[in-house]
Amino acid sequence: MNKKVKTDSPDVFIAEMGKIQEALPERIDANPQNVEKGLAKLVLTLVELIRKLLEKQAMRRVEGGSLTDEEIEKVGETLMKLENKMKELKEIFELKDEDLNINLGPLGDLM
Amino acid sequence: MKIYTYGVIDSNSGIEDSNKGIEGAHVHNIPYRDIGIAVSDLDERYKKNVNPDHILKHEEVAERLMERFTVLPMKFFTIFKNKEEILSMMSEYYDSFNENLDRLRGKLEFGLKVIWSGNTIKKRIAENNTGQGQSELLSNGSLAQNYVMEKFEKYKTDRQFKEEGHKYISTVNRFFSGFAVEEKLNMLKSEGLLLTASYLVEKAKQDDFKQAFERLKKNGPNDLKYLFSGPWPPYNFINLTKSEFKKV
Amino acid sequence: MDNVMLKSKDVTLLEILDRVLEKGVVISGDIVISVADVDLVYVGLKVLLSSVETMERLRGAPFAGAGEEPT
Repeated sequence: MNKKVKTDSPDVFIAEMGKIQEALPERIDANPQNVEKGLAKLVLTLVELIRKLLEKQAMRRVEGGSLTDEEIEKVGETLMKLENKMKELKEIFELKDEDLNINLGPLGDLM
Repeated sequence: MKIYTYGVIDSNSGIEDSNKGIEGAHVHNIPYRDIGIAVSDLDERYKKNVNPDHILKHEEVAERLMERFTVLPMKFFTIFKNKEEILSMMSEYYDSFNENLDRLRGKLEFGLKVIWSGNTIKKRIAENNTGQGQSELLSNGSLAQNYVMEKFEKYKTDRQFKEEGHKYISTVNRFFSGFAVEEKLNMLKSEGLLLTASYLVEKAKQDDFKQAFERLKKNGPNDLKYLFSGPWPPYNFINLTKSEFKKV
Repeated sequence: MDNVMLKSKDVTLLEILDRVLEKGVVISGDIVISVADVDLVYVGLKVLLSSVETMERLRGAPFAGAGEEPT
């Protein structure tokens, strides 16, 4: 099974593949102390997905140039509120951005 | 004692293989109709001590099978309680196994990974986008408006970043088109890992394919790093569905 | 055994892991018993990957009850 992999830069590839979040698939932890946190992760991952989709939609509209100053103001306020809410929730559950890495399968492809 | 599975094969006769499987167990075929599944017995206690040797052995067995049969390699450490449960599983997936075996017969999988200096490229694009004609808005704009404009700059940067990535990927992929029957491309799994690709190649074309990689190294973009691997059993090209009705 | 040879063995194992842990024939359902994915990945990564980032991530990961049979 040697000589199956050819590369001039094995170090670079090893380092890069170490960064891939997917490498650590989410496990459903049945330990009761962690169940709550596991659920929070799932819920927040989904909320974050929705927030990102809304943000993307807003960006498209900005790009299209169809928004008035007032509308941009409203969009900005909404997006800011959403982002701040997410920060709050992450703090409450002691979760970081890297923790919200649950593989959403086909849902994840929406982004 | 449990049963460890290596791969579904297109044969219902015995596997004469003197080489051993995981923890030195004998690898044999459990037939189901006109196909079978290569297995070995496994003492449960090994479950707690899984190590890289097991992984290597799993792959080794799958590749030995690949030399003589069409094989659908199992995900690592898929084990069953007993033979009855294996046969039950075989009946549930029989049609799908057959479809896959027919589709993958005589083919091999090759892998390609490409690294670029994503970090640097993104920074360059971001610098180009910053403060382009936004100064008016920034001085007059409210907090919310500026927030939107900042987000928009990031959005443009991301989009341009991906567009540049797509260009590189097209260039690279062109070296391999015509040699692969099927391909699966995954872009930007990380900022630096521009491309993770799997190619399904006919056995007869594998040398052509390997040469395509040599050409890529020589003539492809020189600001990219390449990793080529294979041949592999077709891990990335298996499409599995359960039968609606269980056959006996 | 010099560094270059070690590295190339690592890369091969990484490529194998990339395939056998998530791909191939993935059977779902009660009749399959399989080692929890996270345990496997932990084993593979612990041995292979020396990138600091990854080690820090692993240190923080909730591997509660590693080795217990999932219900």
